[in-house]
Amino acid sequence: MTSDKIIRVSIWVYLGIFFAYLLGPLVIMSITAFNSPSFPRATPWECLTFEWFGALFQDERILNGIKNSILVGMGTVVLSVAMGLAGALMLTQIWPKLRATYYTIIIAPILIPGVVIGISTLVFWDRINRMLGLGADSFLSNGLFLTIIGQSTFIASYCMLVLVARLQRYDMALTEAALDLGATHAQAFRKVLMPFMMPAILSAAVLAFLASFENYNTTTFTFGEYPTLTIELAQKVRYGITPAISALAFMIVALTVFFALVNEANIKRKAMIADARKDATVGELAGKIEVPGLISRNPAAIALIVLLIGTVTVIGSAMTYSPDQCIANVQEQKRLETEKRIQELRDRRAKESAEKAAAEGAEGGATQTAPKPSNNSGFGGVFAPNTLQNEEDGAADEGVAGSSNNSGFGNVFDPNSIGNDSN
Amino acid sequence: MPSFLKEFFNRNGTLMGSLMLGLVLFWTVGLIILPQLSMLDFSFRPNLPPPEIGGPKDIYTLENYKYLIYGPEGGSQDYNAVDLKVFFRTLVAAVCVTLFNLILCYPIAYYLGQTKGNHIRVFALMLIIPYWINEILRAFALRIIFGESGVINTLLVGSGIFDTPFDFIRNDIALYAGLGYAYILLMIFPIYNVIESLDHNQIEAARDLGAPWWRIHKRVVIPYAKPGISSGCTMVFMLSAGALAAPQILGGPSSLWFTQLIYQQFNDNSDWPQGAAYAIVLLVTCILLVLALMRVFKVNMGDIGK
Repeated sequence: MTSDKIIRVSIWVYLGIFFAYLLGPLVIMSITAFNSPSFPRATPWECLTFEWFGALFQDERILNGIKNSILVGMGTVVLSVAMGLAGALMLTQIWPKLRATYYTIIIAPILIPGVVIGISTLVFWDRINRMLGLGADSFLSNGLFLTIIGQSTFIASYCMLVLVARLQRYDMALTEAALDLGATHAQAFRKVLMPFMMPAILSAAVLAFLASFENYNTTTFTFGEYPTLTIELAQKVRYGITPAISALAFMIVALTVFFALVNEANIKRKAMIADARKDATVGELAGKIEVPGLISRNPAAIALIVLLIGTVTVIGSAMTYSPDQCIANVQEQKRLETEKRIQELRDRRAKESAEKAAAEGAEGGATQTAPKPSNNSGFGGVFAPNTLQNEEDGAADEGVAGSSNNSGFGNVFDPNSIGNDSN
Repeated sequence: MPSFLKEFFNRNGTLMGSLMLGLVLFWTVGLIILPQLSMLDFSFRPNLPPPEIGGPKDIYTLENYKYLIYGPEGGSQDYNAVDLKVFFRTLVAAVCVTLFNLILCYPIAYYLGQTKGNHIRVFALMLIIPYWINEILRAFALRIIFGESGVINTLLVGSGIFDTPFDFIRNDIALYAGLGYAYILLMIFPIYNVIESLDHNQIEAARDLGAPWWRIHKRVVIPYAKPGISSGCTMVFMLSAGALAAPQILGGPSSLWFTQLIYQQFNDNSDWPQGAAYAIVLLVTCILLVLALMRVFKVNMGDIGK
């Protein structure tokens, strides 16, 4: 029994580590959105602030990126769901000998690196454009068109997989019955097949939109004059990061959690209604089934309501809250600390020069001792004797010139080190 | 009109049939096959200014592929050591990321697949949520954590393990963690889907017959989950070899990913044919590697994507 217990505990520990790896980065990033330093960091915590959300909404490029992303997303959804549905229908009736080849071709875009899809789209449509003798500003070389085309190439494959899964459960006899009863092919498609496929089409559309919204690898080659949100974010992240990006990320995380909970609560509610129907008597079915309340026995719905209340509270307090006083306090504190350090350093310098003078007077040759031979690491003086002998000195050094430790030379060129060697 | 085409139109109606056929042809031929062929063709051409394209200088050449192997003509080295090194490093690192993800995800997928209960739904939700966050933002989150004044360094220095902040970005640890992080879900779900359909009685039977836990996995679970494992590994390998965002954001200043070279050829050098050649090399190498491994482990192409 004890070994069973050990296994159980280790499973939970493993799950804990795994989900910490998975969710930890998002939590920490969300925290940085509310901390006041202008470099995103969670520690040390300085002041609660909402200014990064304001900064985000004043950023023209981000707003423009969101607009382009939505345009591209809608185009991609329409094109890739249509192609995915056609591809899935074709898969069910294609000549069996061609089936494997056909499947390989339409599944391949999932495995082709996004970079390659972007390049091939760019090169191919550029060539078509030239063959048709159109200029550089024709719609074939338009960023929106190229991005939609490029993204649809592989997103249609995702849609196809989702749609095929449902299509396999479709009874072709239904369509045949409709045709026998005099429906045209278009009517049979619209009135029989489409309603059956609708849930899968909706989930394929959501999947396509999200995949399009977060795509980077393909879009980075095709966007032209229409940078999407992802492209703008990548440029911002590469050339200097601010907590405004954390604020955006936090909102995306919150929205994702919100929709996941809505979805979850919905599923749970449907399941409970189905259960109630199953247990209901004939009389109850004829009348009205007593539907369980929205929140009863539905943890997702409860979590959803808690989240909503939390959001309202936070937004409400953000309207009235002002972090100015706190930020001023922190700045004052920092200023005092810096002054204290400078003062300490001055004292130290003065003391050292006095000591040095005294030491030089006492034993002149001692200052000429060579640096320790063990000092062969790239960081040189970080581990130099002076830091060991004189800890306060190291602290003062870090305070004033914090970056000096990072230079390859360490404290070798620090005037203090010679003085310390003589100690 | 060939008979199978006639039958196809009879079955679907002329309007619906041609709409369907048109969409499928546009997708397979217009979006998948022709662009790839066009890129292949482009990679064999010299880099010319637009007016000269199609002119007498526009001939087929192996120049772009030679460049990857031998470097610029008259260069000081016999081989293009820089680019080749980046290429092999990318492949090796992608394999390592794949193995790391497999080892990390297999126990989770097994646990999720074989355990019943309400908390499994919560776990599944927690798995999916990070995946809906933008790839760039996920990389950004890791950069905040691994930065010089990030949480991990604060903890390490604060607890006295290190005297000075450790540079995770320069040592590429952040990059590997980020790549592994980005594709966890693509590893878990295929394995989970397969293991979920494994009858728990098989495991019970093996246990009753006295097999230790590692032998149960070796002889029962892993052979059964092989299609899922290979599907997950293929996706993670292809995606991490072709990743661009994570290396750009999390990569150290001196280490490049092969896709970054392709990106540079396109955006900084404006040498499209050269970039196309590099892309072809990446694509072909990855596909050959995956096919070879699938042959070794006896898996079919049809299992991918399930």
